[in-house]
Amino acid sequence: MATAEPSRAIGLPSRAAWHRFRSLAALLAPKPAVLAAIAVAGVAAAATTLVLALMNGEVDHVAIRVFLNDWITLNYIGAGLIAWWRRPDSRFGPLMVAAGFVNFLATLDWASAAVPYTIGVALDLLAPVLFLHVFLAYPSGRLSRRLERIVVAGAYVAAVGVGLVRMMLGGAGPGNLIEIASKPQAALAVRNVQLIGISAFCLAGIGVLAARRWGPGRPPRRPLGLLVDSFGLALLMIAALFLCIVFVGSPDEVPAIEAVRRTAFFVVGLAPIAFLIGLLQSRLAVGPAIVSLGTGAARGNVLAALRTALRDPSLEVAYWVPEYERYADRDGRAIELPTSPARTTTLIDREDGTHVAALVHDSSLRDEPALLEAVTAAGGFALENERLHAELRARLEELKGSRARIIEATQAERQRLERDLHDGAQQRLVALSLELGLLEERFAGDAAATAALEQTRREITESLRELRELAQGIHPAVVTGHGLAVALKTLAARARVPVRLTVGLDGRLPERQEVAAYYVVAECLTNTAKYARASSAAVEVRHAEGRLVVEVVDDGVGGADTRVGSGLRGLADRVEALGGRLRVWSPVGGGTRVRAEIPCA
Amino acid sequence: VRVVVAEDGVLLREGLTRLLSEAGFEVVGQCTTAEELLLKVRSYSPNVAIVDIRLPPTHKDEGFRAAQEIRSRYPAVGVLVLSQYLELGLAEELLADSAEGVGYLLKDRVSDVKEFAAAVRRVAEGGSALDPTIVSQLLGRRRGDDPLAKLTPREREVLELMAEGRSNQGIADRLVVTERAVQKHITSIFEKLGLGASSGEDHRRVLAVLAFLGS
Repeated sequence: MATAEPSRAIGLPSRAAWHRFRSLAALLAPKPAVLAAIAVAGVAAAATTLVLALMNGEVDHVAIRVFLNDWITLNYIGAGLIAWWRRPDSRFGPLMVAAGFVNFLATLDWASAAVPYTIGVALDLLAPVLFLHVFLAYPSGRLSRRLERIVVAGAYVAAVGVGLVRMMLGGAGPGNLIEIASKPQAALAVRNVQLIGISAFCLAGIGVLAARRWGPGRPPRRPLGLLVDSFGLALLMIAALFLCIVFVGSPDEVPAIEAVRRTAFFVVGLAPIAFLIGLLQSRLAVGPAIVSLGTGAARGNVLAALRTALRDPSLEVAYWVPEYERYADRDGRAIELPTSPARTTTLIDREDGTHVAALVHDSSLRDEPALLEAVTAAGGFALENERLHAELRARLEELKGSRARIIEATQAERQRLERDLHDGAQQRLVALSLELGLLEERFAGDAAATAALEQTRREITESLRELRELAQGIHPAVVTGHGLAVALKTLAARARVPVRLTVGLDGRLPERQEVAAYYVVAECLTNTAKYARASSAAVEVRHAEGRLVVEVVDDGVGGADTRVGSGLRGLADRVEALGGRLRVWSPVGGGTRVRAEIPCA
Repeated sequence: VRVVVAEDGVLLREGLTRLLSEAGFEVVGQCTTAEELLLKVRSYSPNVAIVDIRLPPTHKDEGFRAAQEIRSRYPAVGVLVLSQYLELGLAEELLADSAEGVGYLLKDRVSDVKEFAAAVRRVAEGGSALDPTIVSQLLGRRRGDDPLAKLTPREREVLELMAEGRSNQGIADRLVVTERAVQKHITSIFEKLGLGASSGEDHRRVLAVLAFLGS
């Protein structure tokens, strides 16, 4: 089963499987010591920023600027460490941590020493690009689409590559180690190109996020909404800040722009908070989800309960049908698991590795393995139950199909037989009797010969009559040749009791349905003649609302035999094979009424 | 009398041709498909076309459709439809507009050479030839306070033979009575069924009877 996102298999509730999952996660997780060391480094970085700002002496509003820078640094490192710990197999956590540290490194431009200053200036514009990278890489930590990779790569080039050119042109003030020439005008122009370029990539990033959120085909998972909104807002503020700097002036010169900068920093630092809220929500949601799953599943609606529990209205469940070695929906219809990158398939297997079901859900759910784990574990029995239901339906569908095919094949075979009789034996016998007739004419004078020939001719005529009855019993060629309406007239005319015939058909109908309806009328009129002791019968056939309705009523003694093996049972099989149904009312002494309804477009 | 025969079974087609030739007909065309039949009728303007109801390619209703087309496009050409099975519904369709120059017989009837030749001739001359089975179904279909109930058994026999398309002489021969006796029965039948005057040509009377039975 190919899926763009790697599928993950989750075991059904068994203590051992649960335990195995735990130990596997522990194995992949970074050592707690490493995480702790990074956390300490993060705090140290924040403190360094404070010290540098205080030592610099030229920074306005030191308290606010230090707070806003560390707000970003600490939030990203902190949230990144939590994400790293929770999802060791995802790059998202490390990426966030990196963004936090780069943000810290950019504050090194407050240092007076040349080396840290140069590093700080060089990385100044890298931090916003890393935020863009983080936002677009959510939730897997990878950029899965080409457009996303182009946007992020372009932003990196603008920030670092073009940034170095600016520094070589002396666009970073004194103390810049890699200055080659001092061309302030050119450096300013390059800086403007940089800022406009990054703004444009940020706006493109908003477009990508918007497409992800309102993209066609599926409602997004609910917790994702807040997160994507906070990412989009942060990108918007970065772009706004940069454009203001280019077209209005630096925040250090224009106080209004300083307000924009503070807002931008604050909003960028909010994104990790939104991420943590999402995680917390999902952790808190596990308990209620299991409760709602229990009550929902008890009410028989497992899908709705799973959707509520996982907060993913787009969730679909596919059930494994072992006999056909494929997944099917609840009604047993075979389905393919999707391969779109926006959807992830989680396979739910038993302990022995056999499949139970597959959850097809929004990819962001991969971020909440505990929720997914708990919910699938709690829903296990309900899912097994549903799977049995799906398997039953699949077999039923198969059975229906094979019954229809058998009847179809029988009918085709009978049609062929009738055709062979008509074109073979019947044709030859007619030609033969014609020859005898001609001989009779030739020997008109010879009484003995004529008598013998006439006797033979009568025998042949009798054989022809028998053959005709036989052929008509095998297949009513008139139905396929001239339609139900014509065929019914002969049936009614040949019946032993008077028949009132009402036909409401508008032209021909499909052959299978016409033949089935013909058999219903023929069999019922035969029964009426044989058993009903009726004085009259009525046949009504009409085609309305996509159904062919056939009703045969007589005023006989009733009590018709509807047991297996009777003619009526055979009729019911034929009608049911076409998806229709046959009903019989035959109270003793109250006549017989047979009604067949056959779906017929 | 010029005849075109459309029949896809080779034995029967050749047998028919021989029968017709020996009976004094001129078989101007033989064919196996409805398309060829229409072409031959158009080019040879025969007096009568003998048509097998099941013709290629599907052997469903091609022959019947061709017969109906000849009747509407070439009213002067009589059409005699032959079939292994008789269908009341098809007889009604053939008689729906007119009973002139039309016949509908079971294929078995070809074995009675004289009868069959007479039927072909009647259709060629604008009369009709209905199979007795169809006639009895037409008569049997009517119930209740039907004027048919008022007929004597002999009158009913005469009515049936008339419906088959036979002339007074033909009926007289069949019942071994005089033509005058037949005429007397016919007058009585027409009175009882309320069909007005029974004088006039033979096949006019047949048409009146068929119109009555078909109603």
